[in-house]
Amino acid sequence: MPVIDVPLPELGEEAPGEARVAFWYVDVGEELKRGDDLVQMLTDKATFDVPSPAAGKVVELVADEDQAVKVGEVLCRLQVEG
Amino acid sequence: MPNRAETRSAKPAQRFPPWLRKRVHTGEAAARVSSLLAELGLETVCTRAHCPNLPECFARGTATFLILGNSCTRSCRFCAIPTSPPGPLRDEEPEAVAEACDKLGLRHVVITSVTRDDLTDGGAAHFAKTIHAVRLRMPKTVIEVLTPDFLGRAASLDIVLDAGPDIFNHNVETVPRLYTQVRPEADYRRSLDVLAHAKRRAERDAASLHTKSGLMVGLGETADEVGAVLRDLRGAGCDIVTIGQYLAPSAAHVPVARFVEPPEFEAWEAEARALGFAAVAAGPFVRSSYHADSLFESRRE
Repeated sequence: MPVIDVPLPELGEEAPGEARVAFWYVDVGEELKRGDDLVQMLTDKATFDVPSPAAGKVVELVADEDQAVKVGEVLCRLQVEG
Repeated sequence: MPNRAETRSAKPAQRFPPWLRKRVHTGEAAARVSSLLAELGLETVCTRAHCPNLPECFARGTATFLILGNSCTRSCRFCAIPTSPPGPLRDEEPEAVAEACDKLGLRHVVITSVTRDDLTDGGAAHFAKTIHAVRLRMPKTVIEVLTPDFLGRAASLDIVLDAGPDIFNHNVETVPRLYTQVRPEADYRRSLDVLAHAKRRAERDAASLHTKSGLMVGLGETADEVGAVLRDLRGAGCDIVTIGQYLAPSAAHVPVARFVEPPEFEAWEAEARALGFAAVAAGPFVRSSYHADSLFESRRE
């Protein structure tokens, strides 16, 4: 089963936009539906909940809590149905 | 899914109350807007102002264009756009905005700008060219302009108004007492006069222009002061008003004095309606151009 990267989508911060990981809603090994909340991100302007782009299983949380992540950088990896 | 925030230790402090939480909209529509803007070399205030509504609006296929450059001659303390001498105007910009409107299929476009006190006409002719370019290409699209005060110069304002926008928006931004801290180079009375001038001209010419203004709350104003601004705006003939939570773009900007709770926005919305505004938007994430299309459609004639 393929593993996909989940990048930080554009949040409205100026390029190279970045946001800080507030906390993860999920743990490694957890099964998710598409649209389930993955992580809460903080910017200067608001908090954002990032939804899962696909159904699958969390295989790695790449970004740590409190870590700054730029738009396009990988937040986590998901194993999805082939 | 359970919210595990409370089950984990050493969480960063949550700086925003729950009503200032947005959901990210992912998908192809937002990416299409971003790539089209890059391809046409266009700026948006959405990006430049770090707007928290950007993912939602781009996913809806809409954006607010920022013309006349990406740096500003004024140094308003709430705004993320840098203050520095702006470069020359881009002659191709009006047509690029029109092309973007066409490709995005916009039925309602908002065009705003930096303030250009360095130009004799404040950039009014460039605004007019942009309005004409969009009108020519998209005759049915509602054109909303959100302009600077043009130093209160009627001749500059008239250049924009003669181009025939459907909505003329100029934000008062805050209550007059806070102007020195928030908009040091602006003048509350001048901004009201700009709105009144636009309305008077429209009435004289029997034009169907709607005027619009907005203010941010959470900067330290009192409820009475907000009420006074709403009455002043009605006194200037303003038809549409927006009220939203101020959020600081960085630690170097004016700090947020307070997070206004949703029921207060509801009270202001009711107060504004009672004062006779044709359309009112008030809420934590309301911005000057947020859902500008549906706000305009909701107006009472």
